[in-house]
Amino acid sequence: MTDFPILTVTLLCPAAALLLTLLIPGRMDRLIKGVNALCALASLVLAIVIWIRFDRSVGGFQMTHDIPWVPSLGIHYTVAVDGAAVVLTLLTSLVFFTGVLSMWTLKERVKEYFAFMAALVFGVFGVFLSLDLFAFFFFYELAVLPMYPLIAIWGSTRKEYSAMKLTLFLMAGSVLLFPGLIALFVRSGGDTWNIIALAESGAFSRQFQIFVYPFIYIGFGVLAGMFPFHGWSPTGHVAAPTAVSMLHAGVLMKLGAFGIFRVAITCLPEGAAYWAPTFATLATIGIVYGAFVAMRQTDFKYIIGFSSVSHMGIVLLGLNVYAASNGASDIARDGAIFQMFAHGIMTALFFSAVGFIYDQTHDRDIRHFGGLASQVPVASSMFIVAALCGMGVPGFASFWAELLVFIAALQTYPVLGVCAIVGLIFTAAYVMRVLSTAMFGPRNPDWDHLVDVGAWLVTPRVILVAVLLLFGFYPTLILDMIRSVGAGGGP
Amino acid sequence: MNHSLIALVCVASPLIAFVVALVGFRRRHGIAAGIVLTSGVASLVAAAALLLTAHPEAQAFTSRWFVIGDVSIEFGVLLDGRTLIMGAVVALVTLCIQIYSLSYMADDPGRGRFFAFLALFEWSMLSFVFSANLLQTFIFWELIGLSSFLLIGFWYEKPSAVAAAKKAFIMTRIGDVGLFIGLILLFRATGTLDVMEIGRIFEPQGQPSSIPPGQIELIALMLFIGVIGKSAQFPLHTWLPDAMEGPTPVSALLHSATMVAAGIFLVARFHELFLDAPTTMRVMLGIATFTALLAATMAMVAKDMKRVLAYSSISQLGFMLIGLSAGSLFAGYFHLTTHAFFKALLFLCAGAYIHGCGTNDMIAMGRAGVARMRITTIGLVVGGAALAGIPPLAGFFSKEQIIGTLDGSGLFYTIIRIGVYAAAFLTAYYSFRMIFLITRPNADSLAVEDEPAHAQHAGSDHSAGHDPAEPWVMCGPIILLTLGAIGVGFLGGRIAALLGIEHAHAPTLAEMAPAVGIALLGVALAWFEFGRTGARQAGFVASFPPVQTLFEKRWYIDEFYQRVFVRPVVWFAKLCYGTETRALDGAADKLARGVVRAGGETARRHIGRLQLYIGAAVASVAVLVFYLAME
Amino acid sequence: MTIQAWMMFALVLFCIGLYGVLARRNLIGILIGIELMLNAASVNVLAVNYHVANDPAVGRIIVLFIIGLAAAEAAIALSIILAVYRQRTSIDVANLEELKG
Repeated sequence: MTDFPILTVTLLCPAAALLLTLLIPGRMDRLIKGVNALCALASLVLAIVIWIRFDRSVGGFQMTHDIPWVPSLGIHYTVAVDGAAVVLTLLTSLVFFTGVLSMWTLKERVKEYFAFMAALVFGVFGVFLSLDLFAFFFFYELAVLPMYPLIAIWGSTRKEYSAMKLTLFLMAGSVLLFPGLIALFVRSGGDTWNIIALAESGAFSRQFQIFVYPFIYIGFGVLAGMFPFHGWSPTGHVAAPTAVSMLHAGVLMKLGAFGIFRVAITCLPEGAAYWAPTFATLATIGIVYGAFVAMRQTDFKYIIGFSSVSHMGIVLLGLNVYAASNGASDIARDGAIFQMFAHGIMTALFFSAVGFIYDQTHDRDIRHFGGLASQVPVASSMFIVAALCGMGVPGFASFWAELLVFIAALQTYPVLGVCAIVGLIFTAAYVMRVLSTAMFGPRNPDWDHLVDVGAWLVTPRVILVAVLLLFGFYPTLILDMIRSVGAGGGP
Repeated sequence: MNHSLIALVCVASPLIAFVVALVGFRRRHGIAAGIVLTSGVASLVAAAALLLTAHPEAQAFTSRWFVIGDVSIEFGVLLDGRTLIMGAVVALVTLCIQIYSLSYMADDPGRGRFFAFLALFEWSMLSFVFSANLLQTFIFWELIGLSSFLLIGFWYEKPSAVAAAKKAFIMTRIGDVGLFIGLILLFRATGTLDVMEIGRIFEPQGQPSSIPPGQIELIALMLFIGVIGKSAQFPLHTWLPDAMEGPTPVSALLHSATMVAAGIFLVARFHELFLDAPTTMRVMLGIATFTALLAATMAMVAKDMKRVLAYSSISQLGFMLIGLSAGSLFAGYFHLTTHAFFKALLFLCAGAYIHGCGTNDMIAMGRAGVARMRITTIGLVVGGAALAGIPPLAGFFSKEQIIGTLDGSGLFYTIIRIGVYAAAFLTAYYSFRMIFLITRPNADSLAVEDEPAHAQHAGSDHSAGHDPAEPWVMCGPIILLTLGAIGVGFLGGRIAALLGIEHAHAPTLAEMAPAVGIALLGVALAWFEFGRTGARQAGFVASFPPVQTLFEKRWYIDEFYQRVFVRPVVWFAKLCYGTETRALDGAADKLARGVVRAGGETARRHIGRLQLYIGAAVASVAVLVFYLAME
Repeated sequence: MTIQAWMMFALVLFCIGLYGVLARRNLIGILIGIELMLNAASVNVLAVNYHVANDPAVGRIIVLFIIGLAAAEAAIALSIILAVYRQRTSIDVANLEELKG
């Protein structure tokens, strides 16, 4: 059992979904959905098994599986997980599974849709599991590309524009990223792409780190929705179909933050510390700015899109505080990774609830709604739960995440910390605005005919709520896991 | 049975009731209400058992929840005098209100949810009170805010209720930010999250040497910002009057033992810390006095009974803070306790009247003859008199204690003393104005009804066309609280003992005289203007219309905030939105368009002569080769 | 013959081919010009191979490759020319300028 390559098998789940989807004739759409749901379920089960089998007391990287890929260039296929990767793998499989279930009613080009989605998830898993920088980048690009067709074909509201904007922004990020990564490879001596080996090579002078770090940080930061390069993200959220929004905000944006954590800060700690004040300031501006822009929006999805910018700002703030401490501030790191997880689940829930309402009404303007809480009580309560989570109400996972980041930020950057905490007021303001306009208030009789979430479709949402509550009430489960990152050494 | 187990029962049973009622029986109202009431009784019994048996010496029962960094977070219950008293008060008042709601909310289609939220509220408050850890304190502080949001906005289809809930949440959030920063600073200064440990650090006379005095002041100030938000003190008081848009039992709960009491309790909880921050205490004293006076002026002109009570809550919370910040834990705490009873009582009476005649307007109520509701009216008179500080009712003793603590000298204390006396005078005046307007209606007086009785009351408290009736389910709690409002005042000695204060200040007759005199003066004025036969029923401020308007418009503070805070925020949001759409997005779009145009321009330069291109290519290669050969 | 003479010959051949490519307006003429240039390259390679290289096999292999490439290229080019002719009944390059901006 010890030699069973569980990570590779997990990675192959979406790949299998992709292959099977391509093999099944397009008219058998129920079968396609079933196969995808099964593969997603398999990945979820495997993610839980990984979670259980991961030895928290040892920490470090575990379950390594290594195959040479292009030996002449030192490229390997290396998968291994540490505590952070375990957490994010679980997040991905959760969002994948619930995303597939949320698209159960899709009728248009089912086969192509699920094929692209499986390819996307395959890339995401690859990024979280890879320990080889080249494979990391390979999967990273793989995850980004399917977004274009997914939005341009199945989207709504200026879909070609949004898809193009998203692709161009992310490609621009990659253009910054790629030379940075190659610089790492070349400077380290050019015989390994292994991230740990690169980090421990000691080949990077302070000067070099300071020069290269911004390339990698901004390159990944674009995908993490970093201010001021976040413009693609809300537009993309709005145009994308439900499950893609869920994956996009829930998982894809985490790839950027994870890249910063895994590659930029690990390999270039001195550069990270040097740039931390600058990027922490940008992150704080993002937190407050996102909240303010969300306050003016009237489209459900734009509001959630900008709330994502705001919440990812918290992740980035945490990562920068961690970087500033030269890796000593466990609290900041724990908070940032916890926030990635909590925000992923929360936004997935948001989009799943909004998508459900949009599917029936084809309207997303909050001013056109009112009293949804009495018209579709279940869907609205899902939305309200996500909203409460977004405001950082205790009892939900993101409370702890934000708490940790803020504590750490107050210690390192008191001014930024206070600004970020004050941002909570404006978060409350825009969330309350949505709730009081659309969910509460006098009911709009136009939507009295809406059908509430049925017994079957409620399952994915209930899973998400349960996860939020579980980690909200018992954060130690996930904190122990993340904290094991600090313990132990390389693979 | 050991105490930790009893405390667990006390705290956990509302939580269980909340979950079961909300998840399982939201639509089966009877079962939901039954479960919640059972849990209420269980909590009360447990709290009472603790109060009677537990040793007032502080003891904490905790268990490790999780570890952050090197700090282990221990959640649990802390039993000492302060928590025991407050726990019992919360459990008792909540149970009364739950019983009352059985009748008050009898026809509401959402009452299953209502009872579930009441249980959530009780759980948050009890856990907050018994909390043994700073983090736990903050979590339940937030949950109290959340549950009051849910309850104020319970009638979520009513725009005013939703707006009030939103306002309450955001205004208290502002305070929460201060509290949050304060708690983190406190943790960093002391290195512990344990409430008992912190109490011990600040316990000895004089400031602890390990923490610089400036930092203590800062921590105290930050905590106080949280208190300002939660306990509705100036300048964050404006949410509380609006909060009465919720069902009346919710107002009763909110204004007496739960939401607003949390702020005062926080000051009492960390009173040792506050004592070490003299400057902050003076600021608190000033703000509290100002608030007490400000809210009293608003209460003396309001016509809506619930609004009068809401203003009086703000004013009385100011009184509690005056006691605490003048340095007497006992005075403030005692008033917190007595106020819980008579304010809950007054709100329940208001609810009974509103239920009976369908209006909030006191003048209309009086003319509709609600005074015939005997038990309720007795409750009103007792509660009002207690509020006014008429001996021997509860409010008298506690307010007398507060006035007794103001023994400092100097200009500052003189001003404070004058302010407090004025506020006490106005309190007596407006509470008896309320009593007289209701019990001694005068159809020919100058008083103008804003909304006639039996009017449809905006879909909220459902109007009833029938004769005022007093269902026993509503009377029971009123009677119980009436007894409380009469009796709790005599328990001062016992409360002092529980708080660990040996020499409770026993007032002499001479010391009592000014307090009593002022109260009686207020009552007399109210009698002259509103009570006596043929009274004009117009207050003395009515002779000064600008002042009257100023008071009625709540000193224009809401308008001021609208202009000075809300509008700039909205403006700034617009600015950010403009930046987003024009500058950032616009720049990206312009860049993309520029690239496309550059491509078009380049394409236009091409004339399509293939051979020309080849020739140019060959020529340039030749030049290059020639150049390289020359090197 | 000396290597200079061979290379001179290759140069002349190349220039004739280049002139054909640049000056002819007929696609077939251009193609013939390209063939001439390729042959010039082959002659050049063989000359260097004969006079300089240690292992004469290398040059021959390269030339074989060039011949093979030239054949493939001619086949593809001719089929393109045919397709163009079918579509527009002309193989004059002056008329083929659709890709200009």
